[in-house]
Amino acid sequence: MEATFYLSAAVAVAATLMVVTRASAVHALLYLIVSLLAVAVVFFVLGAPFVAALEVIIYAGAVMVLFVFVIMMLNLGTSAAVKEREWLSPRMWAGPAVLSALLLAELIYILVWNVPGTATISGRAAVESKEVGITLFGPYLLGVELASLLLLAGLVGACHLGWHTESGWGSRSESLSDRRGHENG
Amino acid sequence: MNTLPSALHSNLMALSPLILLAGSAVVVMLASAFYRHPRPVMMLTLAGLILSFASLFLFRGIGSRQVTALLVLDHYALFFIGLIVAATFVVAVLCYRYFGGSESRHEALYILLLLAALGGGVLVASSHFASFLLGLELLSISLFALIAYPRFTERPLEAGIKYLILAGFSSGLLLFGMALVYAQLGTMQFAKIGTMLTAPDQALELYGLAGLALIVTGVGFKLALVPFHMWTPDVYEGAPAPITAFIATVSKGAMLALLLRYFLMAGAHQSQPITLALSLVAVTTILVGNLLALLQDNIKRILAYSSIAQLGYLLVGFLAFDPLAIEAVAYFLTAYFVTMLGAFGVVTVLSGGFNNGSEGESHRVAERDSDRLADYAGLFWHRPWLAGVFTAMLLSLAGIPLTMGFIGKFYILTAGVEASLWIPVIVLVVGSTIGLFYYLRIIAVMCAPSSQAITEPTMRPVASPSLGESVTLAALALLLIWLGVFPAQLIDVLEGITVVDLT
Repeated sequence: MEATFYLSAAVAVAATLMVVTRASAVHALLYLIVSLLAVAVVFFVLGAPFVAALEVIIYAGAVMVLFVFVIMMLNLGTSAAVKEREWLSPRMWAGPAVLSALLLAELIYILVWNVPGTATISGRAAVESKEVGITLFGPYLLGVELASLLLLAGLVGACHLGWHTESGWGSRSESLSDRRGHENG
Repeated sequence: MNTLPSALHSNLMALSPLILLAGSAVVVMLASAFYRHPRPVMMLTLAGLILSFASLFLFRGIGSRQVTALLVLDHYALFFIGLIVAATFVVAVLCYRYFGGSESRHEALYILLLLAALGGGVLVASSHFASFLLGLELLSISLFALIAYPRFTERPLEAGIKYLILAGFSSGLLLFGMALVYAQLGTMQFAKIGTMLTAPDQALELYGLAGLALIVTGVGFKLALVPFHMWTPDVYEGAPAPITAFIATVSKGAMLALLLRYFLMAGAHQSQPITLALSLVAVTTILVGNLLALLQDNIKRILAYSSIAQLGYLLVGFLAFDPLAIEAVAYFLTAYFVTMLGAFGVVTVLSGGFNNGSEGESHRVAERDSDRLADYAGLFWHRPWLAGVFTAMLLSLAGIPLTMGFIGKFYILTAGVEASLWIPVIVLVVGSTIGLFYYLRIIAVMCAPSSQAITEPTMRPVASPSLGESVTLAALALLLIWLGVFPAQLIDVLEGITVVDLT
């Protein structure tokens, strides 16, 4: 059981090193997804299946897919098609594929050779999602509320910084500059 | 956990300053969604801040309360929440004309300001790593958007990105440090960490020590202590002037208050290597901050280096780690808040501000604030009151008697001498002497009756302060001198402040 921990930790470190050293953004992102998957396996082996599932669903799933989409959409055009064909060459996907295959092998090993519930190396029973929920909405309720406000701050900030054009602002500022001109002149 | 209705009731009452801040952020957001007009939105913001400030006094009778494991609302927390709320009030008033008054749509600014203030409030009340991190992130995410708020201008955007990267980096260090401390001790509550470490056979092992060092590093980035200060002048220069005031006061003050609480509650001051490292940091911070400030000729950069040096002075009082240290740090921080708000307030009033956001009128958009030393030449002759307020602020930063800065420095020196921290105290004195040069240089420039002063201002449209700004600046200057002459009133308040251990 400990071997799976060390193997997936090694995969995580290797994949993260590749993230930092790759020149192509899409390539780096592929490795980042592998790294997050490896961390998910680490969580699972340590006895936190709920966090492992969240890691896969939220980070490797939603956030990363969004990143990949955004980066792919940024270079639209005819040259983009050539570039994307390049991404399909084995040189590009071989590394992440090998690392993911390792993780898949581990997963199969864990699922086939272990009784569910005892699959932790920390010696304790796995932390169920129910316990996580009770803790979050019991003693850590204020933390949840603060996190929601944190998201609100991020949302308001992103909304302001990403606002595309402001027709209303432009016309208002014209009248403003006129008035200022009168005042100063 | 006590879940009795009455306990819940008083917990809610104790939390009311923070709840009111959060609630007014939501109300302001909804209001600005329906009425896109900055004036009522700003009024609502100010009302929310006043309510939150008033609730500090209303519910003071409840006394210290530990509200869940995350927050503790003792007098220490309440005092600093009050300071943060008051500073946010001043910043909100300063923002209104600067960002275009009723003619521009800058309502989102107020939501972010309220959320940032909430983040600061959570920081000073937190007694747990989780609330520490959440408060910090709330503060820095809002600040990042606030710094880059005039998003069609180059420098604020650049400053925003610099701040974002450094804030992310320092949060990473902080998290890793917390993880290491947790790995050794298995708890994230400050008080429990403290009791565990006082047990005879327990001490911080290499794990915990490395974790503590990483936490101090992460906090050091936020406080701009010297090996980690590189971002400060650039961000201060690039950010809009009222937001710079906010970074210099609320962000730094909340972090320092939190660090002091962590050190006292979690018993980190018993660890010899860390206090040694901190006193080294204090010494270099004072020297480097003061020496680099001598080389600048941009007011915002001078104030940035000066704020670095001021944080160095604060660390000297901080290192004493006794009740006097808390008093000294609280007094000095109050003085620092008043002075920095006043100084950046003057810069704000003199700057044209970011009135509009469209690129078509780029000749109207202020490319920079009035922050060159030349912009201040002869200020005494054409704007005597403003120059007077600025002079008072600079003298307070230099620690001249009859201002709060003097009493603050005196307090810090007393705390330092009583704890016999000789080397930091000597460096503090040397640093303040160096500091006099650049503060007096600004004052000398403002007095210079140069002929240049007549021709220079025609280049830039001279902004005239609104009534709110004038009243705020006058109030700050009066407070500065009143509390500098009669410090006893503030000291009486401060004497009740202790970091109570309630768990």
